Amino acid sequence: MLTRYFRIVVAGGLGAAAVAAAAASLDAQGVKISDPTSVVMIVNRDSNDIAFMDIKTKKMVGSVFLGNNVNPHMVMMSPDGRYVVTGGTRANKAFIIDTKTLQLVKTIPTDIAPEHLAFSPDGRWYYQGNPDGDSISVIDMQSLSKIKTIPGLAEPLNVTFLPDGSKAYVGNYGAHWVGVIDVRRHELIKKIQIAEVPGVAKLDPDKYLGEIHGINIAAPSYDGRYLYAADGTLGVVGVIDPREDKVIKHIRVGKDPWRIYMSHDGRYGITPNNGDETISIIDLQSNTVAATLEAGPDMTGVNFAAGKAFVISSTSGFVYVYDMNRLKPAGRIKIGTNIQLETATTDPRDDKLYLAESTNHEVIIIDARTHEFERVRNVGLFPWGTHIMDSKDNYCH
Amino acid sequence: MTCWSARVRTRWRSGAVVAVAMMAWSAGASAQAPVAPQMKMDMADHRGALQGRVRDAAGAPVADLPVTAVNEENGAQYVVNTDAQGVYEFGALPTGKYSVSTASGGLTTFRRRGVEIAMDGKATLDITLDAASAAAAAEGERLELLQRIAALEQRISDLESTAVLSEPETRVRRVEVYVDENGQEYDEPVPGTRRSVTYRRERTYRRQTISEKIDEAMEEAARRSVSLGVDAAVAMQFAARNRGQLEANERAYALASADLFFTAGIAQNTLFFADIVGLSGSPPDAEIPTLTLINGYTARLVAQNELNLREAWLRTELFGNRLALTAGRLDLTNYFDANAFANDESTQFISDALVNNQMLGLAVNGTGVATEFDARNGIRLKFGLQQSKTEATNLSDSVFTLSEVGYTFTPFSLPEGTYRVWFRTDNTLPDALRKGFGFSFDQKVTPAIGLFARYGQAQVDLGLGAGVEYDKFVSFGVGFQKGLIFNPDDAWGVGFARMDLRTGERENLVEGYYNLQMTERLRMSFHLTGVLDTPEDGERFGYIFPGIRLQAAF
Repeated sequence: MLTRYFRIVVAGGLGAAAVAAAAASLDAQGVKISDPTSVVMIVNRDSNDIAFMDIKTKKMVGSVFLGNNVNPHMVMMSPDGRYVVTGGTRANKAFIIDTKTLQLVKTIPTDIAPEHLAFSPDGRWYYQGNPDGDSISVIDMQSLSKIKTIPGLAEPLNVTFLPDGSKAYVGNYGAHWVGVIDVRRHELIKKIQIAEVPGVAKLDPDKYLGEIHGINIAAPSYDGRYLYAADGTLGVVGVIDPREDKVIKHIRVGKDPWRIYMSHDGRYGITPNNGDETISIIDLQSNTVAATLEAGPDMTGVNFAAGKAFVISSTSGFVYVYDMNRLKPAGRIKIGTNIQLETATTDPRDDKLYLAESTNHEVIIIDARTHEFERVRNVGLFPWGTHIMDSKDNYCH
Repeated sequence: MTCWSARVRTRWRSGAVVAVAMMAWSAGASAQAPVAPQMKMDMADHRGALQGRVRDAAGAPVADLPVTAVNEENGAQYVVNTDAQGVYEFGALPTGKYSVSTASGGLTTFRRRGVEIAMDGKATLDITLDAASAAAAAEGERLELLQRIAALEQRISDLESTAVLSEPETRVRRVEVYVDENGQEYDEPVPGTRRSVTYRRERTYRRQTISEKIDEAMEEAARRSVSLGVDAAVAMQFAARNRGQLEANERAYALASADLFFTAGIAQNTLFFADIVGLSGSPPDAEIPTLTLINGYTARLVAQNELNLREAWLRTELFGNRLALTAGRLDLTNYFDANAFANDESTQFISDALVNNQMLGLAVNGTGVATEFDARNGIRLKFGLQQSKTEATNLSDSVFTLSEVGYTFTPFSLPEGTYRVWFRTDNTLPDALRKGFGFSFDQKVTPAIGLFARYGQAQVDLGLGAGVEYDKFVSFGVGFQKGLIFNPDDAWGVGFARMDLRTGERENLVEGYYNLQMTERLRMSFHLTGVLDTPEDGERFGYIFPGIRLQAAF
């Protein structure tokens, strides 16, 4: 009996020693994140860093300071999880961080005010949109260098790639067209007009010659058949067939739609309409509006989890919830008063939302089923957005 | 002597004084030990020599040719001339890498970059001036120029990025702190402390562009100010009698209305609102005794050409903004039976029968309270009370109440619809006549087409021993928007309303309208209304009312 216990103790001791040795080995190599899917990345605009929070322990793993007055905007992990990239809006640079060691490995000059970004499906190309430069910087992730700047855009915000990586689509917020880029040549090859400006536009210079609220993103459906581009000024969603690169249908939604967000089951898309504080739920099979429901002011994003949609109302301090089976309101979650909610990501299991709240420098973790939430404080100054590798809700303002 | 020359002389004088002073300071400094000798030694110890011979393509020495060495790190430039044998020598160049070149007639004839000068070393660089060296020099200069352009581009980019406001801003934040009995404040809980809320200024380090800063300031100013809104409309109608003997026939009518709205946020989730309205003109309702108002604006007409306070109230939202409480001078019907397709005489139907449920039974605005509980799951509960007679000396004797339950959902795979029932009482009427109830719905059948209907009935006692009977009202119709229209924000609709009173009076009304949105602030709508009334005396009359409404709202 003693021998048996002895063996167990010895085996246990050896196991513990092996784990400790492995941990020590990783630590010795400077490894801070061994599993890129285990962390939430947080963009801290005012402390100019990218912070990393462990999903399980909800503890901060570390942060990478990018430089004074960088003001990072959006963060994203490369498809292979090796790098974390962000655009520094006021530094006019892209920053590349090694995920394992949390070391800033490269700083690459871009055009003016880099904000939103995307990776090609194979992870080779990192497209950095420069809305104030009206261009996209193409960064080669093999050499970690900028190989080209694609000009000719109009306040490009989000970029999306076709699943085969052959073409990329650029939402131009300063125009009413979507740019099509040949990824092989990194060239703008087409401009798809989403909708015509109505004939009465000339009578209304205040609206049409004032600030354009154009296209934020051409978001692909999960089956990859269509792209959906909402135009804020025109109040429509254009359905693009990427085989022919033409708009096959216009869906009229509420006023000033911000963009479209796709439900994870591929059935619906939601546009938050900040002009009339509603959401339009679009049936992606029939490409018609299935419901228009009341929402809140200044909506910045939509997340999907547990069969529900969570709509973030930035200035009201509320997250509006909608039952996506019955297409009806399902309550609101009050996060706080006099606070500013930013954007959120959803974990890959669709259980929890990680919502950046900039006023109190915290991340709110919302349980999608119970609507209960907890706060992780002091994540950095002015957390602006969050990102989880493999999440279906990785977006930015 | 001009002022300019005087200023120059003064400058020169002061410059000379400064130079003399610096020389004196320099002499004093060099006389000091031991730091100065160490510095001098460092400089002397970090030098090396460069020498060589310059020949032409034929191998002959080139005399009296300037040879230039430029320190690649700091740009320091040194020049020596070749002697008669073509020999040149830099005796004591500071160590580092140099670009060595020769030029003739303004053209660089030779250039070599990266010539290393080591400490105490003597480097040799012999130069042959031939076509190959000239070509290599030209290429070197081209590359250097490109580098310089790249550096300048980078500088421009840096300048652009720094041409923003870089000063950190401050903002005040509400924070929770922990305070002990001595008043010491801690950021984290400490034994013996209590939680307290305070406000603290903190800095934000976002670099804002000037335009962002200006926009923010303007938004802040607008948020703090009282905002003014205007809704002005003129409705012109023409009455063509098609039945009956009433005098009014083929007459034109016009009613102009201007509402001034004042709104101000006065506390957290609390808003003040006031609506002052002035009307002028003659609506058809002044001459044609229809049961319901042909021009819905007529209900606002208290006195011609006078401003009247139509509404003035405070609204606050409580319990997570679920409960809205409005108190002041109200139009209670604004808060109830809010049908999506037939509820606004300024943008939809103009006939009052297709704007309000006629059985709500409230003709005047008054002091009151309206509460609305929005469960945010589609269910809405509303209750309101209001003074129903302006001449009443107390509220108790003139209380009008309205209660409503509403539900918004998406039935049978249709788009959203809202269904509601309401109940009202009025204690100024005899007991048996106090109550009325009704229901209504608006249901989209497609994103572009919606149906609506209202039904209501109110108690009435004709005093004929028949007991309590009911006046009845029904309306229904169809509305179109976002489809089957000329412009994106146009809307149109067709509706029918029937009023059936127990006195025997009846009215059937039908209206169609098209509302053309010309700009964000300007709308024009075309109306065609037909009405057939049966008054108590049985003398039926009917009219057709074509009309135009022009509305500006900003």
